[in-house]
Amino acid sequence: MILTGLLLIFLALLGAPLFVIIAASALLGFYRSEVDLSVVTIEFYRIAEMPILLAIPLFAFAGYLLSESQAPQRLVRVTRALLGWLPGGLAIVSLVACAMFTAFTGASGVTIVALGALLYPALTQAGYRQNFGLGLVTTSGSLGLLFAPALPLILYAVIAQQLGIANGITVDDMFLAGVLPGLLMLAMLSGWSIWSSRNQPLSTFSWQEVRAALREAAWELPLPVVVLGGVYSGFFAISEAAAVTAFYVLVVEVLLHREIALKDLPKIMREAMVLVGGILVILGMSLASTSYLIDAEVPAYLFEKVRSLVTDKITFLILLNLFLLILGTMLDIFSALVLMVPLLLPIALGYGIDPVHLGIIFLANMQIGYFTPPVGMNLFIASYRFNKPILQLYRATLPWFLILLLAVIIITYWPALSLTLVGR
Amino acid sequence: MGEPLSQVLLRSKRHILTIENGLLVLLLTGIILLATLQIALRNVWDMGLSWADPTLRVAVLWVTLLGAMAATRDDNHIQIDLLTRFLSESLKKYVRLVTDLFSAFICGLLSWHGGRFVYFEWEDGSILFASVPAWVCELIIPLGFGVMALRFLVTGLLRIRPQRAT
Repeated sequence: MILTGLLLIFLALLGAPLFVIIAASALLGFYRSEVDLSVVTIEFYRIAEMPILLAIPLFAFAGYLLSESQAPQRLVRVTRALLGWLPGGLAIVSLVACAMFTAFTGASGVTIVALGALLYPALTQAGYRQNFGLGLVTTSGSLGLLFAPALPLILYAVIAQQLGIANGITVDDMFLAGVLPGLLMLAMLSGWSIWSSRNQPLSTFSWQEVRAALREAAWELPLPVVVLGGVYSGFFAISEAAAVTAFYVLVVEVLLHREIALKDLPKIMREAMVLVGGILVILGMSLASTSYLIDAEVPAYLFEKVRSLVTDKITFLILLNLFLLILGTMLDIFSALVLMVPLLLPIALGYGIDPVHLGIIFLANMQIGYFTPPVGMNLFIASYRFNKPILQLYRATLPWFLILLLAVIIITYWPALSLTLVGR
Repeated sequence: MGEPLSQVLLRSKRHILTIENGLLVLLLTGIILLATLQIALRNVWDMGLSWADPTLRVAVLWVTLLGAMAATRDDNHIQIDLLTRFLSESLKKYVRLVTDLFSAFICGLLSWHGGRFVYFEWEDGSILFASVPAWVCELIIPLGFGVMALRFLVTGLLRIRPQRAT
């Protein structure tokens, strides 16, 4: 049992697709318990029984479409016109723009490529130190994960629901819970930006530029309002908001702005659906492996084990933070969610941690995992994109990393921050 | 007689690609339009199409498998891949052969058991909604994993093909 487990982990480390590894473990588990193996495909079929999943292809497509259009430029121009006059203005602009963009596109490195390429030269031009700019864009690549409608928030709620132990957790809960922790991160990073650019000359505020920037972005501006307002007010279900977003973005970028040619649409659609297929095929397989784990009472066994080693909640949370930090550097956020939440949630519940709070801790940790040295994925993407040695990126991101680490610690040990808005 | 086998294979590969991509694009477009229409109907005229929601859910399953098939073709599945960075090119080839063959085997198993699942449903004659039989909607499971199994097998074997002198 342990031997085959190790063999599977080894194959995963050698680069076998994760869905294959998860499928293999489910098949093996059911085979050992002498259950008919068609159960794995029956569990997989539950993909077609969860209405919320419809939101995933729709948001993913909208995000890809936005990043292929000129929307990032317009977003930067608007935020710059509105916030650029502040001390550290351009840095704050970058943080806010990246957070909004990542919330819509998911943290798949798209932000660094689409927005970082725009912001990094602007930051250097405005006189910011090179390392400051590099650190900022790399960090911002995963900022915004806690804001609706980020896919990881949706996925966490879906997985937690499947376990049936998370007392009625919903995607809406996660959308609300992420707001304050997300703003905390944004505020702390902005504070650091203002401090580091205290010697920068200030730029002036111009109503004329604000008007021009707003007019240029007039078509995209309603989008966050409609989506977030619609979801938070309860007017739209999540998948409805996703449908409206996809349809609206399609009309605006293809028909009104005409920045994306009709003939390029199939390629963009295919690219987005490769991501969606990759995520959902893992989710589907994990439905099978999770149901095996529950049958075999693995979570209960793990909980007993952990319980005998760790007695109090605080120690558990510290270990959880460390574990997730390491996990975040190795696994992308989607597979980490699918693999770890079914195991961690029952344990965390045993220590009296609210499932919504656990979700926020999990995602906040994963967010900094993206640029935790030595192997955080966004470090490599930024190194490649800006053509800088990886060691320089380690140095450049260090202050940002430490600030966000502090934010993660606050989020972890102050549950009210996540739970107040949800009313739990 | 006729064209050589390799030509026939190449041409059918092209056709399959066209069908796959076309289906994916068609499905996503259909999802966007149908979901938007459904919202418009509900909010403006206070009505809805009873078949729309189950259709959309099945479409998500199809998109999942078609997307995963495309990801297999692009060699772009979510993976960890920590160790292969440190391997030499020639060793990497054989390592990838092993992981590809393993993936082909697992996808083959999934396809086979998916096929049995579809067969049971066909025998039962279960209906998903309206008069659409469940097995038709589930057919993509064995099909999708079958195609992935073949793709893993072929890419795996092509990796160790002796380089032809040019």
